[in-house]
Amino acid sequence: MLAKDAPTIWNALKGIICVYKPADVSCNRVAKTVIHKICSELNEMDCRPPIDYVSIEGDPSGELTVITKPSLADDPLVVGPRYQPKDIRCTWSSYLGVNTSGVLLLGIQNGTKLAMRIRNNKLVRAYRIKGLLGLATDNYYKDGKVVEKSTFKFIKAFNIEKLLASMQAAHQRKMFDTCGVDLQSQAAYELAVKGPIRPSHSKIPLIYGIKCVHFEPPEFTIEVHCINEYEMYLKALMQEIGMKLHSTAHCTGIQCIRHSYFNLDHALLQKHWTLQNIITNLEECNDIIEEHKDLTIQENIALQYG
Amino acid sequence: MLRRYCANSLLILRRLSHTQTEITVKPSIEPSQYQVIDTSDLPEDDYIDVKFEQKSVLEDCNEDISHIAPYLQPSFNFAAYVNKSETLQQLVKLGVDLHKLEKKVKVPPYILKLDFEKDIKNHVIFLSDLGVANEELGNFISKNPFIFQEDLDNLQVRVNYLKSKKFSDPMVTRIVSCNPFWLIFSTQRIDRRLGFFQKHFFLTGDEVRQLTVQQPRIITYNIRHIKLNDFAIREEMGFSAEETKSILLKKPYVFMKGRDHILKTFEFIHKNMNMPLERIAEFPEVLTCREFKIKQRYTFLEKLGRIQFNPRKPNYVSLLSLVSGSDAEFCDKVAKSSVQAYNTFLKTL
Repeated sequence: MLAKDAPTIWNALKGIICVYKPADVSCNRVAKTVIHKICSELNEMDCRPPIDYVSIEGDPSGELTVITKPSLADDPLVVGPRYQPKDIRCTWSSYLGVNTSGVLLLGIQNGTKLAMRIRNNKLVRAYRIKGLLGLATDNYYKDGKVVEKSTFKFIKAFNIEKLLASMQAAHQRKMFDTCGVDLQSQAAYELAVKGPIRPSHSKIPLIYGIKCVHFEPPEFTIEVHCINEYEMYLKALMQEIGMKLHSTAHCTGIQCIRHSYFNLDHALLQKHWTLQNIITNLEECNDIIEEHKDLTIQENIALQYG
Repeated sequence: MLRRYCANSLLILRRLSHTQTEITVKPSIEPSQYQVIDTSDLPEDDYIDVKFEQKSVLEDCNEDISHIAPYLQPSFNFAAYVNKSETLQQLVKLGVDLHKLEKKVKVPPYILKLDFEKDIKNHVIFLSDLGVANEELGNFISKNPFIFQEDLDNLQVRVNYLKSKKFSDPMVTRIVSCNPFWLIFSTQRIDRRLGFFQKHFFLTGDEVRQLTVQQPRIITYNIRHIKLNDFAIREEMGFSAEETKSILLKKPYVFMKGRDHILKTFEFIHKNMNMPLERIAEFPEVLTCREFKIKQRYTFLEKLGRIQFNPRKPNYVSLLSLVSGSDAEFCDKVAKSSVQAYNTFLKTL
């Protein structure tokens, strides 16, 4: 159980939390909801009493009395609640688009620095993307206007697997090409030995692994491991898969299932965003970061940012 | 926005402190200035003869000058004045949230000009005589500080109007304490609004009274908003006039909620869940439920294969049980599953 004393909790409130972001809600809204929740629960606990108001009364020629009473100028009714949303700093370590749901890391108070380090470290994220064959929409997502229809009965599971495997290989090959090394050379081997090869610029998306996990025409689900991705890129990826399969497809849902070491098991559902759960989650995430130092500080010079 | 408000309030407070300074400075004006404007028309007793002794600063001072202090400085909030001002202290004792009041632009200058004994006391006594509980008084004044502008006789007339319309005493108490804005509406306005509801929704006298007591805020709500929601319910959703009336009487809040929200929820219930309009009219509470909640629970039931909205068959799931109760109750009674399973399911959405 939590301590009853609000300042103790307040001081403990710094670090990274892992929440489950629902779809159709922006990251900003999620952060605001969490902050609001923290503040309202802190205000219900035992807060700091008002400071003293000292007044000296009486006739200065005679006896003077010193009166001390709680200052009304410091009363929660007059100056507002002790903990206010603008007192809490909060930022995300990877931006998820509005239509994306799933694991979202939020840095709270001094944890915002940690969140920034994780963001700059460009860690691998895993997504599960649902798609629908046979229909193409103007914004590649289910809420767009349908612009094209096609048949999909001829698509079999092995077609899609073949395509995804070639896409994955092409992405890896492209990285070596842009590094300026021949894929068959010793230099390419030495580069590959150092670990996953990453683009130096944070705006270039790169896929490390892509596979089909569920195929039941017209619905299908693919799992993507990537860095530097953004929502529109993933939606466009589904459209591209549809085209390459000689049909059409659009995206019906994007879910982030893993962000480096944080997965769905750590994520807090929206109904669990209470102070008690947030503090427990904070400690849990802190343990993970302690255990894997390379999340925040990268020792290997080849993998360091910038 | 915030900056503009700050500048505004600073201006107002400056003006306030100026007026204060002018009033208090007058007695200490030197007599020579008085003599300049003095004419024979002025009565004798209007003449203030203040003589200052010419004293050297080196002499001992035996006078009591402890009451001489600098004037209150202009401030952005009430906290600067509350330790000095009797009125503000009384308001705090009543439980008024002064920090909420100071966010409204027109309120701080108005509140600072009030005097507790003269302007506030009688109104507070009047309200508590009406039956507003002591704990609610603070909330009442925080929501509607302009109640003190109204004349007491006017307030009594408005209460009498309600009683003449056959509202009993407990009903009046509920109306006044649930809707702090009711009493600043004039009798004519209230009458027009009650008339609007009666005509527009074909209500009988008793039904108007029931609606008013159930949700007093709807009568003083933005009429344009009510009309807009009425349009959404009748034309866009397609409910008949009788169904609209029963929705209004069962759940008046549907008419106060945002139009987009109720339309979204309705679309999900009607199109995705294939619920006929008559069933929705039976349980208008579902329209006030947020879309994501009903979506989550419905898809969970769908996954378990427990969708059965026909009351004549076994394993009937009522619409009301779908939206009410905590998740634990829902899983236990409706879904016959565990909360853990539901949570795991939610993480796949």
